Amino acid sequence: MKTKILNTISLFFKPIIKVLKMYKNKLEKSMHQRFVLFGILLALVPLLSNLDIIRYSTVSLVAYIVIFTIVALGLNILLGFSGLMSLGTAGFVGFGAYGVVYFSSLGLPYEISILATLIISSIIGLFIGLFSLKVEGVYLAISTLAVGEIFSQIFRRVTWFTNAFGGVHYKYPLLFGVVQLNRNTTFILLVIMMVLMMFVMYNLTNSKTGRALMAMSRSNSSAQAMGVSISKYRLLAFLIATLYATIGGILYASFYRYVQPLDWNLMLTLLILAMVVVGGIKSIFGTFIGVFVIYGVPSLWLEELFSSINGVAYIFSGVLIIVVIMYYPYGFIYVIQDTKKLYHKFKNGIENRKNKKKNKVENNV
Amino acid sequence: MYNLDNNTILEIKNLCMSFGGLKAVNDLSFDIRKNEIVGLIGPNGAGKTTVFNCITQFYQDKEGTILFRNKEDEIVNLNEVHVSHVINEGLVRTFQNVELVSDLPIIDNLLIGAHSLYKTGIVSHVLHTKKSKQEEIFFREKADEILEFMGIKAIKEQLAGGQPYGILKKIGIARTLMSNPRLIILDEPAAGLNEQETNELSDLIISIKDNYKCSILLVEHDMGFVMQVCDRICAISFGKFLAMDTPEKIKSNPIVQEAYLGKDDD
Amino acid sequence: MSVFISLILRSLETGSVYALAALGVVLIYRTSKTTNFAQGSIGTLNAFVAATILVKWGWSIWAVVPVAMVTAIITGFIIDTIFIRPASKVGPTGKQIITLGLIIVIIGIIPWIFGVEPIPMPQFFEFTEANRINFLGAVIGFNAIFVIGVSIFLMTALFWFLKYTDWGLAIRVTASNEVASKLMGVPTKTVTLMSWATAATFGTLAAIIVAPQTAVDINMMNDIQINAFFACTLGGFQTFYGPVLGAYIIAMSKNLTSYYITSTWSTTLVYVIIMIFLFFKPVGLVGKKFVKKV
Repeated sequence: MKTKILNTISLFFKPIIKVLKMYKNKLEKSMHQRFVLFGILLALVPLLSNLDIIRYSTVSLVAYIVIFTIVALGLNILLGFSGLMSLGTAGFVGFGAYGVVYFSSLGLPYEISILATLIISSIIGLFIGLFSLKVEGVYLAISTLAVGEIFSQIFRRVTWFTNAFGGVHYKYPLLFGVVQLNRNTTFILLVIMMVLMMFVMYNLTNSKTGRALMAMSRSNSSAQAMGVSISKYRLLAFLIATLYATIGGILYASFYRYVQPLDWNLMLTLLILAMVVVGGIKSIFGTFIGVFVIYGVPSLWLEELFSSINGVAYIFSGVLIIVVIMYYPYGFIYVIQDTKKLYHKFKNGIENRKNKKKNKVENNV
Repeated sequence: MYNLDNNTILEIKNLCMSFGGLKAVNDLSFDIRKNEIVGLIGPNGAGKTTVFNCITQFYQDKEGTILFRNKEDEIVNLNEVHVSHVINEGLVRTFQNVELVSDLPIIDNLLIGAHSLYKTGIVSHVLHTKKSKQEEIFFREKADEILEFMGIKAIKEQLAGGQPYGILKKIGIARTLMSNPRLIILDEPAAGLNEQETNELSDLIISIKDNYKCSILLVEHDMGFVMQVCDRICAISFGKFLAMDTPEKIKSNPIVQEAYLGKDDD
Repeated sequence: MSVFISLILRSLETGSVYALAALGVVLIYRTSKTTNFAQGSIGTLNAFVAATILVKWGWSIWAVVPVAMVTAIITGFIIDTIFIRPASKVGPTGKQIITLGLIIVIIGIIPWIFGVEPIPMPQFFEFTEANRINFLGAVIGFNAIFVIGVSIFLMTALFWFLKYTDWGLAIRVTASNEVASKLMGVPTKTVTLMSWATAATFGTLAAIIVAPQTAVDINMMNDIQINAFFACTLGGFQTFYGPVLGAYIIAMSKNLTSYYITSTWSTTLVYVIIMIFLFFKPVGLVGKKFVKKV
């Protein structure tokens, strides 16, 4: 009797499950659709804020996560796919922020300011790429640290560019000379840019170019034997990382509208590095998770719970980073993958037991 | 310009290579013909790997000429070719450690072997243009064929990492076939294989020669394997040429025997 | 001329601090195979211990230093045992992130235990009229002489230890090739413990020396930390004495450039010169280039 009821219920649900499964398959086949869906979800955040469902300051927090996801994605291409390290990332983000503000202050329209900033940033990035053809390993990494430090010195002293410790103010972007954005629409711009950068990264890494980067990362010699030009692809890797970081900086200035010199230091670079490694090497969504874990979790929850005890948020973040790396050196996203696998195993286990039971019943009849 | 006998695809002439004061390769000359399997043998330290790396341009500062009949049937001096362009000429090599990308599926590792044949560039890839999609499909089909030929098509979507050593070596060889090579250089292909795997490998190499119409140079320690598979064998010792002939003649060559076994103290 | 001498003397003092920190970095780099970003933070943490005891219990600077050395050794042991050793399967990048995690944890611990205020710290010898001497026209305080002297003594002791004792040999061998060392029976676990303990003590000493200039606070070692890395890069990570050389050269270059060329951009100039140097000698001053075996 029980089985009969269960059977009728499952008959009812089967078509619904079928439809859901169909849609799930479609979604799985296209990562691009996933990125867009994700972007749409994020774009709802300002709406939720307007409806007072989430706080005004949370939008600011999410904006920070979106911006640094872009920066971290660039570093992921450099480190995760190409096997190269940069310890100067924060410098490039700062340069992007100061750059767009500076060129706008000269009277140039938003888009031109962005272009000018990107061009100069790329040149510097290409220099590092060229440098990397001769200097390798930890020497290269520390050299990028030197570049970051030089940026830091520039931000603190070149007054005509950065106004030194006074910082610079900016306004929300004016697109194409006609569309004036406000806080919410700038946020949406941030999200659109992030989705775009995800698209670019996905297309790039799942192509011959992406494979060439990975071959180079695995072994210079083997890559060269397959025709991969190390010079070309190293330059490309540094160029891309630079562009992503600079874009992050440009968006930072566009949303927060205030840039000051002390933020762009080694500590920030190391945090971005942690976002990549903790979130997921070579993983796009993993990078977002990494940024969320490194920045979002402490900011969202811990300051509420532990505001009386200074520094606990930091201790928590630090311990979390260490624990994740020790057990999941490739990042948190693989925790999720492992969980999925466990779930499938569990499901299969139940299926197998069901089938065994069925066979037993049939044999006994 | 350069000239080669019609039947020859690789000619090494007076190759010399020193490391510091040590002469690793000393005035070595030999050739490889079309559709031929040549073995390069010698005792440990004979300089086989050095010869190998010189031909494939991983070592600079060498003397001598290395003439090669490339894909367009032109004769080029490989010493004038940059290491990452050697594959464009039609010469490709394997590595003893295979050196695949562990996080990529086997078929994607094969696609890396086709890198030099792709015509689309970075921008096309980023924009996911029709042309780049078509190229991708084309090379994936080619990879399928080669995987089928090697007998490992079933596992093509599995990651390269974690595969058994025998499979890794097969993937390494499969990767070389993607570039339509004229000459494949195998770096100790039988190393680490058991007897059954070695026999399979001999059959595989001979069938590659027949099916893909290329020549193969292999550097190897395993004498039995080399005798089985090669049309000719070049023996060297202390970087110097000893002899080059068919397997039987090399086996019975006294100079070669002496280099391997030492002089008889009679 | 006396200005020049005084610049040299000052460089010796700064260089000694950089050298102590740099030795800590290279020791860890070669034995634990990771760039220890937490080098400065470890020093800061133990300097806080020293400073707190000094201020709260009124101990003299001479008394708290040994205490800080002991806590530094304990810190080193804890870090290696709990965080670094168990993570041996993690790649070098991962280990770098672990040291970053350590920085963050220490940044959290310090205000929790020691409060948020910076704590002032006295020098070993106050710079009074009595406590200075004239040297070739320049004035140098006892403190500076002491600092330079102690640093050089400690570094020489370390080099002697590395070269002539069994444990020193164990460290050098592990630094050269850990797997082979393990197979040969070298107690690599103890070697890394010793390296971390030494690095922690050197870093702490550097922090205590520097503290009087700014007071003990969270950021006090940032600058020294970075210069320690540059010293190792300039001198080469392949030897233990290379970074020491690099440290003094950097200190010297910074001071000389600052006085004779430009004081605002001296640091930048020195960094640019280091990078240009690296471009022509990519393995540092005393590094050896490896011919890659394919």
